[in-house]
Amino acid sequence: MTPALLEIDNVTRVFGGVRALDGVSLQVRDGEIVSIIGPNGAGKTTLFNIISGVLRPTSGDVRFQGRSIVGWTPQRIAGAGIGRTYQIARPFGRLSVLDNVAVGALTHARTLHAARVAAEEVLSVVNLLPLADRSASSLTLTQRKRLEVARALALRPKLLLLDEVMAGLTPTEIDAMAGFVEHLHERGIAAIGGVEHVMRVVMRISHRIVVLDFGKKIADGTPAEIVADPRVNEAYFGTPIDEVSAS
Amino acid sequence: MHPVLIGQLTVDGLLLGGIYALSALGLNVIFGVMRIVNLAHGEFVIGAALFAAVLFERWHINPFIVLPFAFAAAFGGGALIQRFLLRRLPEDLAAAETTSLLLTFGISYFLVGAGLAIFSGNFRSVPFLTGAWALGAISIAQTRFVAFVTSSILALLLALLLRYTALGRSLRATSQSIEGALACGVDVERVRTFAFALGTGIAAASGCLLSLIFTVNPETGANVTLASFAVIALGGLGDYVGTLVGAAIIGLAISFTGYYASAQVAQAAPYVLFILVLLLRPSGLLGRRAA
Amino acid sequence: MKRATVAGFVLVVAALALIPPFASGYVRSLLYITVLDVALAYAWNVISGYAGYLSFGQVTFFGLGAYTTALVVIHGHVAWWEGALLGGALSALLAVPLGYLMLRLRGAYFALGMLGLAQTFQVIANASGFSGGGSGLFLPPGSNTLAVYYWTLAIAVLTFVATVFIDRSAFGLRLQALREDEQVASTLGVDVTTAKVMAFVISAIVPGLLGGGYAWYLTYIEPVSAFATRFDLQAVAMTILGGIGTVWGPLIGGVLMSQVSETLAAQFPQTYLMIFGGLVVVLLLFLPRGIVPAVSAALARRRARA
Repeated sequence: MTPALLEIDNVTRVFGGVRALDGVSLQVRDGEIVSIIGPNGAGKTTLFNIISGVLRPTSGDVRFQGRSIVGWTPQRIAGAGIGRTYQIARPFGRLSVLDNVAVGALTHARTLHAARVAAEEVLSVVNLLPLADRSASSLTLTQRKRLEVARALALRPKLLLLDEVMAGLTPTEIDAMAGFVEHLHERGIAAIGGVEHVMRVVMRISHRIVVLDFGKKIADGTPAEIVADPRVNEAYFGTPIDEVSAS
Repeated sequence: MHPVLIGQLTVDGLLLGGIYALSALGLNVIFGVMRIVNLAHGEFVIGAALFAAVLFERWHINPFIVLPFAFAAAFGGGALIQRFLLRRLPEDLAAAETTSLLLTFGISYFLVGAGLAIFSGNFRSVPFLTGAWALGAISIAQTRFVAFVTSSILALLLALLLRYTALGRSLRATSQSIEGALACGVDVERVRTFAFALGTGIAAASGCLLSLIFTVNPETGANVTLASFAVIALGGLGDYVGTLVGAAIIGLAISFTGYYASAQVAQAAPYVLFILVLLLRPSGLLGRRAA
Repeated sequence: MKRATVAGFVLVVAALALIPPFASGYVRSLLYITVLDVALAYAWNVISGYAGYLSFGQVTFFGLGAYTTALVVIHGHVAWWEGALLGGALSALLAVPLGYLMLRLRGAYFALGMLGLAQTFQVIANASGFSGGGSGLFLPPGSNTLAVYYWTLAIAVLTFVATVFIDRSAFGLRLQALREDEQVASTLGVDVTTAKVMAFVISAIVPGLLGGGYAWYLTYIEPVSAFATRFDLQAVAMTILGGIGTVWGPLIGGVLMSQVSETLAAQFPQTYLMIFGGLVVVLLLFLPRGIVPAVSAALARRRARA
C-alpha cells in the first residue's frame, strides 16, 4: 500500500485553555476528496492552519509525501504542493485578478511574464479570465471565492485545502463548485474540504468523510458509513437517517 | 551603589511612572478600541503642558485647576477630529492602519508647527509646588507626589468608568470585537467617538501633570509618544493593569539612566526597552490585528 | 515603458545635469535639495509603498551615511565619495540584521520602532564625543557642491530605474502581495521574510549614500540636521501626493512640491510644518492613493468611453 499523501498523526492544538484539536489523526491519499464536517468551532480551520504551516501543533505530527512538515514555513509548504483557500476570502485587494493568481504561479514560473501566462490558464479554468484586469477588490463574493481557489491552484498543488468553499453560494454555483472539485480528482489533485453544511453535495462528491466535534474526530469513513454511524447522527445531524440519505 | 541613592531614584522613577501611566492609558483606550495608532499623541500631551505652562506664567493659574478644562477641551477637540477626520478612514482594516499611521503622522507635524508658532521653541515648565517632603533620607518632591496622586485618581476613575458604566462596557466590547458589539446593539460610531475623545482628554490631563515635572517645548512630543507606546508594549495592549506595570518600569528606566548617564540618554531609554520587549516577547505584546 | 516616456525622462535628466554649471547659487541649491528629496522619496517608496511597511525613520541611515563620511574624511583622509560609499555600505550592513529584527513587528510598531531608532541615533550622535557631540563635525574645506549634485542625481536616477525594475518584476509582485496580506502571501509561496528584508536594505542603502554627499555638500554636520525630521516628512508627503507604491509617484510629488517646500522651510519653518503636515492629512482623506493612480484611472475611463 502506497503511503498516504498527507498524514495527520495525533495532532493536538491547545489555545490557552481550549483544545481546538484533540488527538486528531487522518490520512488523505493521492487524488482523494475528503470532506471534514463539523460545526463552526469544531476545529476545521485550525487543522487547515496547521497543515498549511500558519500554526504549529501543540503535539503530534503532520507528514506530506512521507516527510514531516511541522515547523516548515508556510511558503515552503506551499512550494511543496499544498495550497489553501480561506473561509472568508482574502484577495490582494489592490492587485489585479490576474496578479492575484500570478503570485502563486511564481513558485513554478521564472519570470513575472511566465507567471502571468500561467495565471491566465488558471483563470480560464475557474471562469474568471474576462475579469483578469479588474482589481480584486471589485469582485463579488462568488467571484472572490473562485479567485481564492484559482490562487491556490496556481501553485500546481498536489493537495488543496478548501475551507468552506461553498458557503454563501447559490445552489447553481454550489453545483458548479462541486463539479470543479470532482474535476480536481480527475487531474490527480487531492482535496480536503472543510464544510459546515451543504450536505447533499458533500455526500455526493466525497470519497471519504471525517467528522469533527469539539476538536475530536468522531468518525471517518465513506459517506454511506458516516450516514449510518449512530454517533455522528447523535452529535451532528440530529435528523433521522432516512431523511439525510434521501436528499 | 548607595542604598539611599537607589531608594531615591526608585521613588522618583515610580512617581514619574505614574504620570506616564496616565498618558499611556489614554493611548490604550484609542488603540484598543479603534486600532488607530495616534502618532500625534505626544503632541496632544505636550500641547496641554505648554498651555498649562503659559497659563501659569501669565496668570499664575496652577495646572491642577487647568486640568479639568484641558480635559474638557481636548475631549471636545478629539470628538471633532474623530467625527470629521478619522471617520473618513477606509473600512478595510489593513488599509486603515496604514492610513491612520500616515494621517496621525501628518497631524503630529501640523501640531508641532502650530505649537512652535504659538508657543515658540522656548522650553517651559510649571514651577509650582517646588518643595519636597522628607521620608527618612529620601526626599519626595511635592510636585511629583501630588501629580502622581492625581494621576492615580484619574486612572482609577477611568477603571471605574470602564467596568461599571454602560458606556465603559460598550467600549470594552468594541475593543474586543466590533461585530460582537454591533450585534449587541452597541452604537459603534458613538463608542469610537467617545473613545477617541476620552483618549485625547486623558492625554491632555497627563500633559498638565507633566508640565510640573519636565521642561517641554513643542518638539518634545515625539519622546512622549514613544514612551507611551513603550509602556503599552511592555504592559500589553488593552491590559490596563499591565499599563501600570509598564509605566513603572519606564519611569524607573528614565530615572536611573537619567542619573547614571544623562538626561538625553534617558530619553532613549524607553525606546530601547520598547524594542527589546517587542523583539523578545513578540507573542502577546505585539498587539492584536483586529479579529 | 513607451519610447516617448523614456525619451522624455532622458531629456529631463539631461536638463538637470546641464543646468547647474550655468545657474545661480540659489537655483543650484534648489535643484540639489529637490533631487535629494526625490531620491529619498523613491527609497522610502520601496519599503513603505511596495512592501507596505511604513517607516518613519529612514533618516537613520541618512544620518549614518553623513557621519560615516564626515568621520572617514576627517580622520582617514579619503575622498568624500569613498566615504559616501562606505556610508552606503554600512547602512546596508546594518539594515540586514535590523530588517530581520524590526520587520517582525506589525505596522504600527514597526513605524514607531523606526521613529525611535532615528531618535536614538540622534541622541547617540549628540552624546558621544567621537561624533563631535552637539557641536558636530567640520569637514575639511574645498568642497565641490557640483560634484555632490551629480552624485545625488546619479543615485536618484539609479533609484528610479530600480523602482521601475521592481514594479515590473516578480520581486515587486511578491512585495505587493505581502503588503496586501502577509499571511496569505506566505501560504501562496512567497518568502515574505527575505523579500521584505531586501526591500528594507534597498531603502536603507540609498539614504546612506545620499547622506554622505550631504555631509560634503555642507562641510558641516551636527545631530539635529543630520537626523532632521524634515527628510522623512518630505519623502512621505511627496510620495503620498504623487502616489504611494507607484513608479512615477515620488517624482511627480517631488516636482510639484519642491519649490514650495524649500521656500517655506527656509523662511517660515513653523508654517512649513503646519502646511506639510496638514497636506498629508488632506491628501489622505481626499486623495489617498495620490495623483498618479487618480490620473491613470481618469485616463482609463476616457479610453473606455472612446
